[in-house]
Amino acid sequence: MNHQPKTAVILCTCSGIISEKIDWAQVRAQLAEHPDKPVVTDDELACGADNLEKLAAWLREHGPERVVVAACSPREHERTFRTLLAAAGINPYYLQMINVREQVAWVTADPAEATRKASRLIAAALRRVCHHQPLVERHVPVRTDVAVIGAGPAGIQAALTLARAGRMVTLVEKEPFFGGMPVRFEELFPNLECGPCLLEPGMGELLHGPESEHINLLTLTEVTEVKGSFGNWQLTLRQRPRYINPELCIGCMVCAAVCPVRRENPWNCGGELAAVDGPFVGALPNLPHVDAGHCLKLNGRACDACLAECPVEGALDFTDTIRDRVVEAGAIIVATGAEELPVLPAAFAGRDNVFSAYAFERLLAMTGPSGGELVKGDGSAPVSLAIVQCAGSFDDAVTYCSGTCCQAALKYAHIAAAKQEGLTVTRLVREQVVAGVNAARLFSHDHSRVVRYDGLGDLAVADTPNGRAIVCASTGAEVPADMIVLCGPTVPGQGTTQTAHLLELEVDDAGFIAPIHALSGSFLSPLKGVYLAGTCRGPGDIREAFASGTAAAGVALSELVEGRDLTVDPQVAVVDADQCAGCMGCIRVCPYKAISWNETTKTADISDILCRGCGTCVAACPAGAITARGFSRTMLRAELEGVLS
Amino acid sequence: MSCQTMPNVAHPAPEHPGAPGTGEIRVVAFLCNWCSYAGADKTGMNQLPVPAELSVVRVMCSGRVEPTLILEAFQKGADGVMVLACHPGDCHYKEGNLRAFCRAELLERMMPQLGVDPARFCFDYVSAAEAEKFSQVTNDFVASVRALAAAQTDLHSRR
Repeated sequence: MNHQPKTAVILCTCSGIISEKIDWAQVRAQLAEHPDKPVVTDDELACGADNLEKLAAWLREHGPERVVVAACSPREHERTFRTLLAAAGINPYYLQMINVREQVAWVTADPAEATRKASRLIAAALRRVCHHQPLVERHVPVRTDVAVIGAGPAGIQAALTLARAGRMVTLVEKEPFFGGMPVRFEELFPNLECGPCLLEPGMGELLHGPESEHINLLTLTEVTEVKGSFGNWQLTLRQRPRYINPELCIGCMVCAAVCPVRRENPWNCGGELAAVDGPFVGALPNLPHVDAGHCLKLNGRACDACLAECPVEGALDFTDTIRDRVVEAGAIIVATGAEELPVLPAAFAGRDNVFSAYAFERLLAMTGPSGGELVKGDGSAPVSLAIVQCAGSFDDAVTYCSGTCCQAALKYAHIAAAKQEGLTVTRLVREQVVAGVNAARLFSHDHSRVVRYDGLGDLAVADTPNGRAIVCASTGAEVPADMIVLCGPTVPGQGTTQTAHLLELEVDDAGFIAPIHALSGSFLSPLKGVYLAGTCRGPGDIREAFASGTAAAGVALSELVEGRDLTVDPQVAVVDADQCAGCMGCIRVCPYKAISWNETTKTADISDILCRGCGTCVAACPAGAITARGFSRTMLRAELEGVLS
Repeated sequence: MSCQTMPNVAHPAPEHPGAPGTGEIRVVAFLCNWCSYAGADKTGMNQLPVPAELSVVRVMCSGRVEPTLILEAFQKGADGVMVLACHPGDCHYKEGNLRAFCRAELLERMMPQLGVDPARFCFDYVSAAEAEKFSQVTNDFVASVRALAAAQTDLHSRR
């Protein structure tokens, strides 16, 4: 370097804490001999408010180009001294701090050794700071509106929280109705509260309340593409046709009554729907939808049954088509949920009166296939009910406990016994987890017989003289099982898998979206501006869904503030396109998806918005084409030379 | 590993530019900002000893430390080099520490070919809370490097 920048050195005594170990006078004497001739001051307590003012004046007086501060940990006061530099009209990144308190004075017994070490570190800092570059924080305008993917309890809660703060929300739901899983459950554990009663007030507000002006709910819609980054996302949405004009339809369902077609009801696990119908009684929004696969008219047949009876002209709209639209948002909240393992264990699959937990929820629900009657396929009442818990958990395929099935099973036992007097209820368990005060109450009221079993291979369904039974091979126990409920493990929902793929988010071993930190950042994805709510993060209950929905909205509110630009930290990695060989190694190692491939230049591009400055790509680049600003190779090399010379 | 930044390791610098015979050695420790550097700060707060021969170079993540930088430290006269990272699973940047670990493993295997004793290199994990561990690993490593250097000096003087 031809030009040797003028450097100032501030030696902090820390009110005597540092100077009792390190002889600053001796260090000053050495610095006086230093070829760079730095200006030096040894201040009492450099971080004190009065002293900072004095130091700013001193810096202005001497006009150095670089500043070295020997004081405490930069983790504590780097920001303080950067602010000092800015106040003195010096670029704040022209600072190098040396930690002589925690890492020298307090850990070195001999004062002479401590002084020598401090001198060595100051010499290294003087070498390093020459190579510092002036950096400027970039300000990027951000959108404050939010896209929420998934309109279950978590998504609804996030959307309402944001709307109440005046934010515009696009709420995307793939089903023709919203409310997620629990809106289809008759009662919720642990308090046996009615599911629809708990959810519908919020859903009503979302559709008709003041919040509705801020929320655009798009049903039958999926995200097909996501571009952009924090503050400026573009989501391409594909909405399937409902063939119903929501502005005109009054939800009388006359169309369903006159439709000649019958199809299976996928949401009820039993019962039938017309080709034009609502999924179940009370589904919101209160609109039917036409199933294009089954509707005669849409398949070229002459049928106008619904059109003839619909009391509102134009409410049925057979010209409706797929609509693609692009929505812009500052942040994305993923609330795409989970589902039960869709495959029933071999010993039970295909048999009569075997229900998955979800199918049993629907059977118990007033809005379900039997109107809430506990009946078998032939319409008769069951005599015995066997509830198999952990049905597939702790297995090779699903190794984990979902943590919710025990409470669900206790709830089923309770509701079923109340519906059917004299019903014999048995719970087959591998493990039982009933944590929490309310859950314990549900547990203490349980009168079921409990039978332990050892994995699904232990169980077989057999006809015995006393009727159908589940037989445990290991214990020989025979469990009367007129009706069987299998509480299978919770697995990622289809929407969760799809969204993780679209956003290139990592998933955990079970396929749930991995948060940035399991404990302290469970609502944050590693991608800045993408937040996580509900069971897309792992199995959970409705309380967890509400809490995480509020939390994700809270993060969006704190990170995206109207009128406040995003401040981009300049200490990020930058690619020298001339040096980049295009090997893409950096793209693979970046934990934040901050590096993308520039097809035009055939080089790597680093987004300063997404980069967090770890420098992993710098170390990985075989061409040395990436520089970590603030921690460049030249700076670290100079520092090494300093401590080793 | 960068071809452009590869130091001329075929002719390493003399083993002890410090002060042969005096037992004075130089050890560089690359510490990541979030765990091991914080652990070093905590060592200070607990007033536990850290060898005076140790010079800390702070980086944001252990994943930032490329093997060439470690070799350059040896070339410039370091008697020992340490890279201290967050524990596996605790990396502030998710997995930079694991990349650092992989690089350290490879480097250790390469070092004998480059004429550098792998015992002069140490990769370990120190959390933000492990003040005692920081004190322990730095003292142990510096002591072992000091012993190596003494043995080397002994050898030289006998020749």
